[in-house]
Amino acid sequence: MRRYNPFYFIAEALKSLKRNGVMTFASIAVLMSCLVVVGGFFLLVYNIDVNLENFGVMNKIEVFSEFDASPAELEKLEKDIRALDNVADVIHTTKEQRLAAIKETYQAYEDITDEENPLSDSFEVTYSDNSKVPDLVHQLNSLEGVRKINNRYDLAKKIENFKHTVMMIFIWFLAILFVVSLFIIVNTIKLALSSRKKEIEIMRYVGASKWFITLPFIIEGILIGAVSGVLSFFIVKAVYSVVTKQMADVLQMLIVVDFNTIGTPLVFAFLGIGILTGIIGSFISITKHLNT
Amino acid sequence: MIDFKNVVKTYPNGTVALKGISVHIDDGEFVFIVGHSGAGKTTLTKLLLCEEKPTSGNLIVGDYDLSRIPNYKIPHYRRGLGVVFQDFRLLPNKTVYENVAFAMRVVGTAPGKIRRRVPAILNTVNLADKNNSFPDEISGGEQQRVALARALANNPNVIIADEPTGNIDPQMSLEIMNLLMKINKLGKTVIVVTHERELVNYYKQRVIMIKDGVIVEDKLGGTYE
Repeated sequence: MRRYNPFYFIAEALKSLKRNGVMTFASIAVLMSCLVVVGGFFLLVYNIDVNLENFGVMNKIEVFSEFDASPAELEKLEKDIRALDNVADVIHTTKEQRLAAIKETYQAYEDITDEENPLSDSFEVTYSDNSKVPDLVHQLNSLEGVRKINNRYDLAKKIENFKHTVMMIFIWFLAILFVVSLFIIVNTIKLALSSRKKEIEIMRYVGASKWFITLPFIIEGILIGAVSGVLSFFIVKAVYSVVTKQMADVLQMLIVVDFNTIGTPLVFAFLGIGILTGIIGSFISITKHLNT
Repeated sequence: MIDFKNVVKTYPNGTVALKGISVHIDDGEFVFIVGHSGAGKTTLTKLLLCEEKPTSGNLIVGDYDLSRIPNYKIPHYRRGLGVVFQDFRLLPNKTVYENVAFAMRVVGTAPGKIRRRVPAILNTVNLADKNNSFPDEISGGEQQRVALARALANNPNVIIADEPTGNIDPQMSLEIMNLLMKINKLGKTVIVVTHERELVNYYKQRVIMIKDGVIVEDKLGGTYE
């Protein structure tokens, strides 16, 4: 029975990585940069997504009645709002309730009496379909007894567009850096192949199987990918921590995702992308430079 | 058993290297293949090593039909061959022992068997005392003997020696040829591709002469004039 020592393949791969140290370093550096940029974009997009979801909770339109609206008119207005398409729920807040809430938050307004109340009643309208918001706003504006409308749809839309742009840049970066990483890995493996040319030739003549000859090079690619993946994970983690701390004041209005909540899937993603890139690079090089 | 039946080899550039060669070599034979440069000796060797496939005709070596052998079976076929080259092709960073052991390790031979077999083979080629020497520390003749030991490592049935004495002095050439004869006596088929007349004429074995891709002479106890 033929026996192959798995440590032989790993040892050969490590020897080769050491032998072509400069190219190994270049491969790891380039793939690592690629993964850091990709990781950075991912975290940005993920944070935008989480904040957009949060905006989604606030995706409500606030409708303010006329100041002098009678209870009957207010009741009719609520009924009219409920009758509109795309309205999921309506919460009516009287001007007294609104004043009480303001007094609770801001002590400066404590002395204002109900007679001096400058507010009007409001209706918090929750809608079900984002895409039909402009129609709903138009319909609400044309209702009798509506003084003013507040909605955050525009802001949500702007953030959505920003996310889309970031995503596009992310995809392009990913593609370009992936190609660059592949190119460097292909050349590293090519160098490894040529430095072991004589050895490979002898292996072929004595009847070593193709997988026996190629496995150390595949492992070499895997090691480059794995090291790049792990290093880039820690770099992204450190940079994310620094950036979120530095920008704590600016970002206080927004939700900042805790790195630990996504750390595990991210390290696996980095390892996965790194190793896959390494394997593909090795395969391209082997197919191109190693004849059967 | 090696059987060429009307083997033609044409390279992609149109060069016809072998023009319908038919020859049969029995197990345990010692054969010289001779001819001038460009006669077709190298192509014939490449076909036997399965580096090239015949354009037409059949080439059978043992249980393998090399005209139709699938790529995945080539390593298995090559394990039945031992090859010796003019330029030795030893690994300079490995000792004599490691060079021979390498050939066994890469085909998955158990370490215990390697430890037992390598000293025995080195003894056969009279290199038992050079175990730990590196190739650049031994003479050309000794390097070729290491190459011969490596060719024997996996106990092949056929030894193909491509100009085995081309890079060594006449005295060493005789030593190498004597070793090949000794290996032949052990029952191995030995094919020596050469253009050295003196050696061929000295050993008086079967001589197959190729000229312009055609076998022009095939004689037992022949000479090369």
